[in-house]
Amino acid sequence: MKAFLQFIFWIFVAFVALFLAIVLGERGAWYLAWVLGTVMIILIAVAGTVMLDARYEDEPLE
Amino acid sequence: MHALDTVVELSRAQFAATALYHFLFVPLTLGLTMLLAAMETIYVITGRAIYRQMTQFWGKLFAINFALGVATGLTMEFEFGTNWSTYSHFVGDIFGAPLAIEGLMAFFLESTMVGLMLFGWDKLSRGKHLLVTYMVALGSNLSALWILIANGYMQAPVGSVFNPETMRVELTSFTDLIFNPEAQAKFVHTSIAGYLTAAMFVIGISAFYMLRQRHVELAKRSFRVAALFGIFASIAVICLGDALGFINGEDQPTKLAAMEGLWETAEPPAGFNVIAWPNQDEQKNDFELQIPYLLTPLVTHSFDTPIPGVDDLEKTAAQRIRSGIPGLAALQHLREHPNDAAARAQYEAHKADIGYARLVQRYAPDVTQATDAQIAKAAADTIPPVFPVFWSFRVMVGAAFVMLAFLILAVTYSLRGTITDKRWFLKVAPWMIPVPFIANEAGWVVAELGRQPWTVYDQLPTWVSASTHSVGYMIFSLTGFVLLYTIFIVIEMFLMVKYIRLGPDDPHPGHGQGTPAGQGNRVSQWSEA
Repeated sequence: MKAFLQFIFWIFVAFVALFLAIVLGERGAWYLAWVLGTVMIILIAVAGTVMLDARYEDEPLE
Repeated sequence: MHALDTVVELSRAQFAATALYHFLFVPLTLGLTMLLAAMETIYVITGRAIYRQMTQFWGKLFAINFALGVATGLTMEFEFGTNWSTYSHFVGDIFGAPLAIEGLMAFFLESTMVGLMLFGWDKLSRGKHLLVTYMVALGSNLSALWILIANGYMQAPVGSVFNPETMRVELTSFTDLIFNPEAQAKFVHTSIAGYLTAAMFVIGISAFYMLRQRHVELAKRSFRVAALFGIFASIAVICLGDALGFINGEDQPTKLAAMEGLWETAEPPAGFNVIAWPNQDEQKNDFELQIPYLLTPLVTHSFDTPIPGVDDLEKTAAQRIRSGIPGLAALQHLREHPNDAAARAQYEAHKADIGYARLVQRYAPDVTQATDAQIAKAAADTIPPVFPVFWSFRVMVGAAFVMLAFLILAVTYSLRGTITDKRWFLKVAPWMIPVPFIANEAGWVVAELGRQPWTVYDQLPTWVSASTHSVGYMIFSLTGFVLLYTIFIVIEMFLMVKYIRLGPDDPHPGHGQGTPAGQGNRVSQWSEA
């Protein structure tokens, strides 16, 4: 039941996000670009830094 | 100079001084909050204590900057009322709404969450604290959004109508105000410029640590996250700057002409003045170095659109002044005879140009008696000071490209894992910290000085916008602000240097330590081997 409610919740969140994206895309394209761009920049910065640790993990100790 | 002109100039100087001081703090806050969110995201994903230590350390520097940014920003909102009372009366209905929302929504969100972010590390779960950090980042950027919506209205007024009965501008469409293309482009450009500023700040200090062999593991990770964050920000800020220039150029051709040093209308394909020495008195460039064919596609995003120069813009302004004179005369008549249908019809026919008639009122208080010479003088006033706008624009753009080149190297060295070997680069990096700040200040000069002679473009001239203070009062308050804000800058520098020298605190026991991925684990053993 909990999983189902969580599923419903996230479906709702997805619909709200899609609605906002459509509205913003129509009238506020630059605002939408800011939202998407900021998320992308953060994700790339996070992923690239996690890679740094992963690389250390993979290399043998000297 | 007439006393009224002196008061207006001093009011402008005071606002420029406070805004430029304030704008030293704002971009770093906008960007550093997002970088903190990125750093803390890594902490939550990996569970490594070093990322918590990293977030806390940069968070401490953010807190110093945030406190002083708030202190310098508060006075600015009051200045609209104290020094620009005519402006505030004229557009208060429009301008007040975004400023109020900024205070009630964004600033309250930001301020409340800052406390939780700084002091809630041991009181909130990792997920909740991360959410708080994101709220701080969102709040600070939303704060900028509402301010820039207000500023966007000054640059390109939309969603409003002037009411001749109240002599005020009234809001007709809140959504038009929010979605004003000028505000949108300004917000994304300014916000991302803040990201770039924060990235350069973190890179510079991280390089300092690596150079001194202090906190190397933290510095390498900070450098990596900031370099990746910064390179995308630098690409975005250049692209968005082009978008803003395109939108702004259509709204304000006079600013565009000043930015490009265009004295005569440039027929396609026009050359781009890389450098020039604009001479406003003689309306020519004493010296110019051009790249052929570049300006037309750069500015108009086409190959066949002419770009209006100062000569044609002054002619257009003179026509609009002549058109606005009967409108302003009718408006003055309507103040005493609000039911006069003929005056109302005359007002309606010329209302679009009344702002221009107000320009000539500076030289001819009774505008119906304005001479050709006075109209020509007022038309010349519609061109902003070309030299500072031209060069501020080039300083901003030049700095952006220098930072892009720097960040390409930073990312390359960081991804290759050779950054600690590049001592020359580490030595240069701390000296790059001022570059984004200079670019930000130059950008503000382009935007605001380039808008002159208007406070609200095409509608309200600057010379009628100021309050009627005495010259002595303005000199006293200007001196006071400059002294006070200089002290703030000195305090910020002192605190920043102090805490940078102290470096990050030791990691808090029990957070990541002892976990497979915590500090004191294989990572640091590897790096110290």
